Amino acid sequence: MSKVGSVAAWAFFSLCVMAVITLPVNLQTQLIVSVLIVTFMAILKLANAGGRWRLIALAFGTAVVLRYVYWRTTSTLPPLNQLENFIPGFLLYLAEMYSVMMLSLSLFVVAMPLPPRKASSISDGKFPKVDVFVPSYNEDAGLLANTLAAAKAMDYPADKLTVWLLDDGGTLQKRNSANLVEAQRASARNVELQTLCDELGVRYLTRERNEHAKAGNLNNGMLHSDGELIAVFDADHAPARDFLLETVGYFEQDPKLFLVQTPHFFLNPDPLERNLRTFEKMPSENEMFYGIIQRGLDKWNAAFFCGSAAVLRRKALEESDGFSGMSITEDCETALALHGRGWNSIYVDRPLIAGLQPATFASFIGQRSRWAQGMMQILIFRFPLFKGGLSIPQRLCYMSSTLFWLFPIPRTIFLFAPLFYLFFDLEIFTASGGEFLAYTLAYMLVNLMMQNYLYGSFRWPWISELYEFAQTVHLLPAVISVLLRPSRPTFKVTAKDESILESRLSEIGRPFFVIFAVLFVALLMTVYRVYTEPYKADVTLVVGGWNLLNLIMAGCVLGVVSERGERAASRRVKVSRRCEFGVGEKWYPATIEDVSAHGARVQVFGIDASTVPTDTEGGIRFEPYSGSGTPETLPVAIRNKEIAGDITIMGCRYLPQVARHHSLVADLIFANSRQWSAFQSARRGNPGLVRGTLWFLWLALYQTSRGLIYFMRSLRSSETQKEGA
Amino acid sequence: MMVRALALLIALLTVATSALAQPSPFDMSGERPADAPVLQQPSEAGNKGAASADQPAVVMKPADFKRFIIPFSALSLTGEVDERAWSVYLTPAQAQTAATLNFAYQNAIVVAPEASMLSVFVNGELAGEGQISAAEAAAPISYDLKPGLLRAGTNDIRFKVRQRHRTDCTVESTYELWTEIAPDTAFIRFTSGDSATLTSLDDVRAVGLDARGRTQFNLVVPGLQQPSRTAALMRLAQGLALRGQMPAQEFALSETMPELDKPGQITALIGTAEEVAPLIERLPDGASSGPVAMFVTDSKTKASVLVISGPDWSAVQEAIEGVTQPMDRPSNVPRDVIATGRWLLPETPLVVSRARLRFSELGVETSEFTGRRFRTRFSVAVPSDFYADAYGDATLLLDAAYTETVLPGSHIDVYVNGNIASTIALNSVTGDILRHLPIKVTMRHFKPGPNVIEIEAVLATEPDKACAPGTPASSDPRFALFDTSELRMPDFARIGRRPNLAAISGAGAPYRNDAAAVPLLLDRADEDTLSAAATFLARLAVAGGRPIAVEVITSPLAAGNRNTLFVGAMPQLSKTVLTQVGIDPARQMSWGNAEDSGQRDETQKAIDEWRTRLSGGAWRNQVTAFQTWVKQEFDISLNSLRILPEAQAEYAPPESAGLVLAQGANPTDDATWTLLTAPTSKRLREGTAAIADVTRWQHLAGRVSAYEPATDNIEITPVTGFDFVQTQPPSLTNYRLILANWLSSNIMFYALLLIVLSVLLGLATSSMLTRLGRRQ
Repeated sequence: MSKVGSVAAWAFFSLCVMAVITLPVNLQTQLIVSVLIVTFMAILKLANAGGRWRLIALAFGTAVVLRYVYWRTTSTLPPLNQLENFIPGFLLYLAEMYSVMMLSLSLFVVAMPLPPRKASSISDGKFPKVDVFVPSYNEDAGLLANTLAAAKAMDYPADKLTVWLLDDGGTLQKRNSANLVEAQRASARNVELQTLCDELGVRYLTRERNEHAKAGNLNNGMLHSDGELIAVFDADHAPARDFLLETVGYFEQDPKLFLVQTPHFFLNPDPLERNLRTFEKMPSENEMFYGIIQRGLDKWNAAFFCGSAAVLRRKALEESDGFSGMSITEDCETALALHGRGWNSIYVDRPLIAGLQPATFASFIGQRSRWAQGMMQILIFRFPLFKGGLSIPQRLCYMSSTLFWLFPIPRTIFLFAPLFYLFFDLEIFTASGGEFLAYTLAYMLVNLMMQNYLYGSFRWPWISELYEFAQTVHLLPAVISVLLRPSRPTFKVTAKDESILESRLSEIGRPFFVIFAVLFVALLMTVYRVYTEPYKADVTLVVGGWNLLNLIMAGCVLGVVSERGERAASRRVKVSRRCEFGVGEKWYPATIEDVSAHGARVQVFGIDASTVPTDTEGGIRFEPYSGSGTPETLPVAIRNKEIAGDITIMGCRYLPQVARHHSLVADLIFANSRQWSAFQSARRGNPGLVRGTLWFLWLALYQTSRGLIYFMRSLRSSETQKEGA
Repeated sequence: MMVRALALLIALLTVATSALAQPSPFDMSGERPADAPVLQQPSEAGNKGAASADQPAVVMKPADFKRFIIPFSALSLTGEVDERAWSVYLTPAQAQTAATLNFAYQNAIVVAPEASMLSVFVNGELAGEGQISAAEAAAPISYDLKPGLLRAGTNDIRFKVRQRHRTDCTVESTYELWTEIAPDTAFIRFTSGDSATLTSLDDVRAVGLDARGRTQFNLVVPGLQQPSRTAALMRLAQGLALRGQMPAQEFALSETMPELDKPGQITALIGTAEEVAPLIERLPDGASSGPVAMFVTDSKTKASVLVISGPDWSAVQEAIEGVTQPMDRPSNVPRDVIATGRWLLPETPLVVSRARLRFSELGVETSEFTGRRFRTRFSVAVPSDFYADAYGDATLLLDAAYTETVLPGSHIDVYVNGNIASTIALNSVTGDILRHLPIKVTMRHFKPGPNVIEIEAVLATEPDKACAPGTPASSDPRFALFDTSELRMPDFARIGRRPNLAAISGAGAPYRNDAAAVPLLLDRADEDTLSAAATFLARLAVAGGRPIAVEVITSPLAAGNRNTLFVGAMPQLSKTVLTQVGIDPARQMSWGNAEDSGQRDETQKAIDEWRTRLSGGAWRNQVTAFQTWVKQEFDISLNSLRILPEAQAEYAPPESAGLVLAQGANPTDDATWTLLTAPTSKRLREGTAAIADVTRWQHLAGRVSAYEPATDNIEITPVTGFDFVQTQPPSLTNYRLILANWLSSNIMFYALLLIVLSVLLGLATSSMLTRLGRRQ
């Protein structure tokens, strides 16, 4: 069957399904059909059926969703002459339709994600010249040193590889700033980084003016370099040694290829993971994007540039005058422009860089605001649906990626809709109990099952909702402001090197407590109304149940904004690498257990622990992957120790003195990308809908109490502060 | 008199003070039909009541002529408010004669006279009203009808009650309230005996009713047995019936003159001039030269006899067509209204597609209500090919209001043909004005022909809970229904089904739609069979709104592929006919011999007994409880999940049945055969007369309807398998709705269809996705 034939067949069956779905059959039929389809889907899901069965299950789900849409559209809207009901009712309807539209777009995107690609190889001796750009704005030298060292240590012919530090923190504009402190700081930074770069063998580049933010900085880099390919790493994204070998080969296979994107793997938890303590066991938020969605986009040749961990073709960039800087998400915008010019992109689903993500809730929100606003700008300025040069699937893919960020609006509506009934007695959704059961409940169940089917091991049940809820409060004003004034937002660099030493409430956490309080009052109102108005207890219970769901979510978010203090500033990565541990002149056989950006844990054999007090300086001697084969020594200081028989476990802190030491640290942490894959796949388990839901309920309960305790504590401390004053 | 005046004064004061004290909750001033007229003309009403009480016995003066007016076997007005309206046709002579309206009523002992009122309206004007106070014995009432009130042609008559309980304030107590008027006591008395005379053919419409609310046409036909005459006689019966339009019309065919001058009867003499001359004093002029159809007056009895005659039979036939032809209308143009006026006003509108009907058009007036159970009704007709009973919803757009005294938990219920179709709660504690509030009304209980939709508001209030003395009679309105409310009918599926007796009952379908003559097979041409056939065909014509052309056949083979009627006593019928309409031929001879009655019932009883005996197991109980719950909550039973249609068992008429109407397809499956049968031709005639009464006729449904004289009940055998009969031009939207209805009644097929299509879509998606985009 040809392409056209298969599309025609699909269109035909779609029409048939639509025709059957829009038949106005009665409630009994709907009820029976819902039960049957939900059962079938559950069986398919339990059997973990893949391939065709997966698409059949999704078709089942689609049928139920469309039945819901049909019913919702034809029989649940409040009458037009009751404006007080109709207006909120219609808003709720629009919000639901948005969700359904996003569901269908994402179904399209991830219907059949590409399986992991075969590694590409570079023909012998045909290594293209690569410029590595590490744009920086305000990151400190230590962080940059690790990244640059790791970049420099990538396996690639040295004469074909140039690493550039593109420093926007030391521009002429900054150095000559009217603000004396800022000018001083910029000059010092300029000098410090230049020295570091010289030591590491990296090119340092800065410019006169900070124009067009990151895009301008990258374009400036392009002006000064001439490599055929350009790899971009954020200042905190250190590449593994095999990064270029895994990515560059594809450019040779496809001359129209402009982008090879790889996932962002993070060594530290985001604030939700840290505060909810899920980092070790639950897949990260971005794994859904990199694990499934980018693979889905890749199927449609629509994988887009994510700002870092990617290789681009200079020729393509030059054709579109470099990186686009109209929006504050220059990465996606650039990819959109190049896709529009007929260039191709691919996505390699293997973590090849490791980075940091924002540690505090506030900077997390700051980062998300930038993404949301930037995507909105793309939506407004470049409306992908009608952008010329794109294929239809690409248009849909970009619409899916940009429209997603409108989520704060429907979320807000879902949050407040039940309150209309509970507080003001407005009926904004007209349905009987039976209809609710047959349509709405089936829809919700099917929705959860589809989500679980699509993203099961990458996203646990209710976690998407939690993330969206947590972002909604602060993203709503951001999204609305960009919709009102699209050109206003400007690029802000996300701080990622903060750490929280002390448990406290997030500075932007207050609204969540207010929301929680309101929803809690609504819960009390539900109980009150069930008792005082028994004649409409059924409706009250349904709406109250919806409110309870919101309350559970809001409670869980209280835990998210209650920032836990943490001792280790950065995450540890398990390594298990043989080495020698030396104190003074004596060397003991040892194994490196795990490493972080700041230190390592070493099992040392045969050392007399009592002879080495804390803060003793020593060294770890090991053979770097990137070196010439001879062992090298990294100076450390002992921070703590633990004796287990013959073995003493030492906690050490690096004491890097020369640039080479940074390379050794990078070698320890970043050299082996397989560790990261292993770590990720360890977290990827699908708990299933029931277990996942129960787990989430428990989590929400626990986090609510934690949030409230933090809240009490913050009240008390502010009181004592006042008293002190 | 004094007491009454005092009561009125108090009532007046109460109204006045309450109006001063607080503004009326609804601004509907002047819309209080129950009270207002009393205030305007108190003395007159009082005098009338007194006058009637003064002359209790109705003296029959020979010069008088009285016409019974109640078109029911009994008129009962129940609840706190109730009314009945219908029309009476008067000849010009009757309309010009001075007349009184007489009736006797009796009411439940719990009806509080001071708060209850019976009003009679003629042509929209109050003819008289009075307190309801005849608990002991029937109280005769007579109201003079003022000159000029009656008019030639149709006159509307409306009986309306407002009843309140003496002591009780509960909703349940309102069911104890009734006022009954016996049909034999209710008549209009015309002072001149001449007004009984009928002169023109149009006066057939003034045929009227007898003391039981029935109408009879006597067709006297010399040479009745000649088969060649049957078809014309059937035509005549239909023509007369369509003029009469009465709710229960019976035809009696005979060769001899019946007793004349009976109320509710018209005698027609049909035959050639030569044949009819011996039966009548004087032939109408011209009877021997051309077709005539006119009334002559019998000098002895002063009764009018309709003579239809001519020099030969073809002239008689022509005269018959002169009676019937004007009643004809195109078979393919739907009627706007179904003529129900003689027993139900306003005439029932026929809805064939999307329509909005205002309550004011449907005869529902704006009313304010002070009691606890408000009830009003209207009627709406759907065509014979209505096929939306499984999926369809009509919408009531309700304009109503209730005050803050109405407690939450009160509700408005909507009933369709006596079955609950929808409930909405009145839950606001502060009262509310409902503006076009949409209420979905399931069309599940709709059937072809007129459907009665009742709206009942059940209002609980705080004062009613306390029920202090005087509360039941309180005059503070607490609920109002406005005539701006609407019934919105959607476009519904339309396709005929075979068999479907409901279509016969509602619209005479499929026979009314046949432009060509309908074959009629009579087992023999005796008086009883012919009378039964005439009564049945006349009823069909009234239901269908047009006369049907008839062709008499003598063998089922002659029917060909035409829709055919079979009328006859069971023993004489051909086996083919019985088989085709699904009647067990084994019962052909035994039906009517009472020995084997009750056999099947006992078996069923035994099975039920065994079932209860064995229902001890806990597991079985759980399952049964679940089934009951599902049935109760969602109306789903195991039966609704079946995939194969139920096997259609042959119908064996039980001994209790006196008449059976059965329908099936003809042997070639392209036409409808309907059989009307009984054990004997005498029972056939009686049974047909009984089911021709609209109160029974409207219950005909299913594939077999059996009339049981002992219980006066119609037993329905539902349709299990049927064929569709195309009635509408092919259209995709109609097919879609038909499919929706069929799938709604065959749930598993819908589920199967959706599942299969989903699987196919999944496979198509998979095949498309492997071909589109990148693959590996």
